Amino acid sequence: MKTLIEKALEQDKFSIARLITLFEDTRSETALQRAEAMKKIKASPLARSGIFLGFTGTPGAGKSSLIGEIAPRLIQTESKLSVAVLAVDPSSEVSGGALLGDRTRVRFPLSETRLFFRSQSSAGALGGISPTTFQVCRLLHYLFDFIIIETVGIGQNEIEIKNLADEVFLILQPMAGDQIQFMKAGIMEIPHAFVMNKCDETKAARQSYHALKASLAFVRPAENEIKILQTSVRTGFGLDDFVSELLSSRERSHSSLHEKEVHFFRQWVKEEYGRWGLQFLKEKMGGAAALMQITQSFDQAQIKFIHSFLNE
Amino acid sequence: MSQKDTHTKLDHQLYDENHQATKDHPWIFRTYGGHTNAQATNELFRSGLEKGQTGLSIAFDLPTQCGYSSEHSLAKPEIGKVGVPINSLDDFHVLFEQIPIEKMNTSMTINGTSMWLLALYIALGRERGVDISLLQGTTQNDIVKEYLARGTYIFPPEHSLRIIAEMYEYCLENIPKWNASNICSYHLQEAGATPAQELAFALANAIGILDLIKERGLFDQEQFERVVGRISFFVNAGIRFIEETCKMRAFNELWEEITRERYGVQNPKFRRFRYGVQVNSLGLTESQPENNAWRILIEALGVTLSRNARCRALQLPAWNEALSLPRPWDQQWSLRLQQILAYETDLLEYPDIFEGSKVISSKVEELKTQAKAEIDKILEMGGVRSAVESGYMKSALVKSMSERMSRINDGEQIVVGLNKWTEAIPSPLLQGEDGGIFKVDAKSAAWTLEQLEATKQKRDSDRAEKALAELKKAAQEGKNMMEASIECALARVTTGEWADALREIFGEYRPVTGIEGQKLQLENERVSALRQRNDEFEKKHGHRARIVVGKPGLDGHSNGAEVIAVSARHTGFDVIYSGIRLTPEEIVQSAVEESADIIGVSILSGSHLELADQIIAQLKSAGAFEHIPVVFGGIIPKEDEKVLLEKGIQKVFTPADFELIDIMEQIMNIVESGKKIAA
Ligand code: B12
Ligand SMILES: Nc1nc2c(ncn2[C@@H]2O[C@H](COP(=O)(O)OP(=O)(O)O)[C@@H](O)[C@H]2O)c(=O)[nH]1
Ligand SMILES: [Mg+2]
Repeated sequence: MKTLIEKALEQDKFSIARLITLFEDTRSETALQRAEAMKKIKASPLARSGIFLGFTGTPGAGKSSLIGEIAPRLIQTESKLSVAVLAVDPSSEVSGGALLGDRTRVRFPLSETRLFFRSQSSAGALGGISPTTFQVCRLLHYLFDFIIIETVGIGQNEIEIKNLADEVFLILQPMAGDQIQFMKAGIMEIPHAFVMNKCDETKAARQSYHALKASLAFVRPAENEIKILQTSVRTGFGLDDFVSELLSSRERSHSSLHEKEVHFFRQWVKEEYGRWGLQFLKEKMGGAAALMQITQSFDQAQIKFIHSFLNE
Repeated sequence: MSQKDTHTKLDHQLYDENHQATKDHPWIFRTYGGHTNAQATNELFRSGLEKGQTGLSIAFDLPTQCGYSSEHSLAKPEIGKVGVPINSLDDFHVLFEQIPIEKMNTSMTINGTSMWLLALYIALGRERGVDISLLQGTTQNDIVKEYLARGTYIFPPEHSLRIIAEMYEYCLENIPKWNASNICSYHLQEAGATPAQELAFALANAIGILDLIKERGLFDQEQFERVVGRISFFVNAGIRFIEETCKMRAFNELWEEITRERYGVQNPKFRRFRYGVQVNSLGLTESQPENNAWRILIEALGVTLSRNARCRALQLPAWNEALSLPRPWDQQWSLRLQQILAYETDLLEYPDIFEGSKVISSKVEELKTQAKAEIDKILEMGGVRSAVESGYMKSALVKSMSERMSRINDGEQIVVGLNKWTEAIPSPLLQGEDGGIFKVDAKSAAWTLEQLEATKQKRDSDRAEKALAELKKAAQEGKNMMEASIECALARVTTGEWADALREIFGEYRPVTGIEGQKLQLENERVSALRQRNDEFEKKHGHRARIVVGKPGLDGHSNGAEVIAVSARHTGFDVIYSGIRLTPEEIVQSAVEESADIIGVSILSGSHLELADQIIAQLKSAGAFEHIPVVFGGIIPKEDEKVLLEKGIQKVFTPADFELIDIMEQIMNIVESGKKIAA
């Protein structure tokens, strides 16, 4: 009998799905299982080293629809290339439940094992991703070549994706020029490139494109050529260019997974143990980077932290 | 007639043009029917006509409605289940055998493939040597309500609306008595619409069609006025029958205003609000089904009492509506209701009995005001097409439906036998050998498949190919596609081929589900307790309980799935629901990738057994059958429930299970105990 991990590395969907559930698991007692799984996965010759692409932008801009078109095109460029999508939707404040609706827009060819789609609830978090998004990404990094993360897209405070994704794409739809000017500079500073979707609505799209260009010159004056891609899911316009842009992301250098682990370890401590926890991490354990250095593993670091913190 | 009589006209007496006392003609009695295959449906029609039915109303099976030939894998479980399957002109010859189509008023409930079915009807006329300008009837052909409520759409709105416009453009001079489309509010009420929504959405829809025809500019004003005169409506009549009477009057008055003010129609004849009715079926219950007979009668009154707003044609469901398709006897019983109402009572002897009622006119005004505000809102959004594409209209309906279910759940809205007076003597109507249920013979599909094969063997394949190429060319070049479709029909092109040709050019469409952000109006102890259970589940298992709600196959009944999805989120589940018309493979793939804790399948079209087999097989091949429990809901006869449970389905819910929180608790029970292996 093959193990779950072996099967996941061979891209068996249900095994991958169940491993994701393990990495989404919020109980600290399962950290050991994660540590073991991670060790085996990393040691496998089948392990990959995927790149993280963030898709953000207001609801309705067409993030999910674009992913539905882009991912199948991506895997067609190379015979072994694989893509996982992690789409985050907001949870209800009242009931805690969430409607995970991004899937509706995505119809991947069935039984294509090189494509994988998973939904996540934001579970009350406000940064546009879920508290466990990083955990799942850490796993998917070794199982897929590209990991596309669709953020909630509720507002303009979704800065957290910057720390997760290697490259962020801000998906926009045609809108009035003054709306673009009102976009917070904060969100405008993050993206690697901008995607003006719905360019089938030509007139509005053209106007928005120019307004965006103008305001970028203002917000990011130092960079002379920030890419603004133009796409239409409806007509297929610009999709191939978008795919090329995503493929080329592999040629650019990004922060390592380890650096991300340090950031998200700190985030995790803050979320679970608050300011006290952070203080403890810094003063008693020498900070996240040092702890990670000692344990050589995100999960072991968690175990060690919990142990020390609770014994204090 | 004496001099004196003409002077002393009685207020309660109806008079004709010659001042003679008279009585109205009854409306057209329709019985919606069709099942099994063309042969069986032909027999059904002929016996209906003998019993005194005065028009034909054809129900097509779902593959025919969605543009698939019977041999398609999506079609297989559905052949002949809820209507007659039509694959080619050969089937039409059988369907209308010994029925003089030139004398019939034929109504076809057909939408996504309406142009095709009309082409078949015309082709039948041509081959029979009938003067096609005599053909009378209606193709339902209202795509907006398909996106919103009924689900048999194929192409994106832009192209579907073009098809409707082209049919008006073809029919006006070629078959002047044909109603190219029928604006439907019936289905909107069945999907939860309030009277004001029904009024507004239907009228905005009509405005959308007329604006488009005007914009296309193929008609002069005289012709355009005649087109306005051809617009007819298909309306619902619910149990609140006084309000419904008022709604019909409001329809009348609003249509008069719109046609006069917006379109400048001079001839009053072309401004008349012409409508047919099917009375409400949503409120017909599985529990104590005999009570439905009274509901149907009361609803029929709502559209017949007021002479000024009386329907042109009436179609009644049967007492066993929530159990299965009606059997011939059930249909006969409902037809008798109409006959008694029209011929035994004095209903047709009076002028409008509500004339001068302050109560009625005040209620009518209120509905009109609400409807106008809503119409303005839709027009401001850019009209129905925008309001469909943006999801505005669909969300509004899901909201209304969720509110309706909430009212029934907390007892605010009484449904006798369902949430009140539930203790009852078992119904003798269910005691017969067949249990009061109609069943399609599973083997009957063979005839249809053989006939299809024979047609393809016999036909001149060059002619068929050429006809299809011409159709695609017309589609691409923006030419009217009617003639090309008629040639396809004559060339024995099949339903699937016709639709595929256009899919290639227009693409397919998937509208929004409308459930985003929706909730129930239920906040009580049981709701809080279930939420708490969900929180505890998360603590215990490390993730929130996830449910995939799936609608496999061609079944478009979305109410149940939507309400369940909304209820699940409301009580704290994570929910994945991607809308109707997915394949079993797609649903299982969602559940597998999402590592769902349970799959909830909703099926009302009668193909639950076949689809259960497919879903189970898919789960097994993904290695997930032991991990993910499956429950079913919908119109599922008792004996099939047993079969489903034996197959490994964990639980079956039917319309009698109306208590949403109760359903969600049972689902939670299964999720909690059904976890064979914790993550
Ligand atoms: C409303 C309705 C429609 C509406 C649908 C609107 C919509 N968007 O849903 C409209 C008017 C469009 C419609 C059309 C048709 N209908 Co219809 N329709 C009904 C009707 C009257 C009520 C169904 C309903 O919505 N009930 C309200 C919801 C909330 O209840 P529910 O779905 O039963 O769900 C409850 C339970 O069953 C359960 N449940 C259901 N699903 C699930 C899933 C899970 C996971 C769980 C836990 C529970 C659960 O919980 C729910 C809450 O109480 C039924 C008859 C009846 N009274 O039941 C016929 C009925 C289902 N329709 C029927 C037919 C034939 C059609 C057509 C196919 C006719 C035709 N030939 O064209 C069309 C085509 C539709 C299509 N594309 O498939 C038949 C089906 C016959 C059969 N199975 O043998 C029925 C039974 C009527 C009849 N007697 O002929 N219909
Ligand atoms: N006209 C047009 N509509 C689009 C395009 N892309 C997406 N849409 C529509 O925009 C709506 C929102 O899309 P969705 O992918 O759900 O957006 P998200 O919320 O950003 O994920 C849907 O109705 C899509 O059909 C496009 O390129 N052109
Ligand atoms: Mg999305």
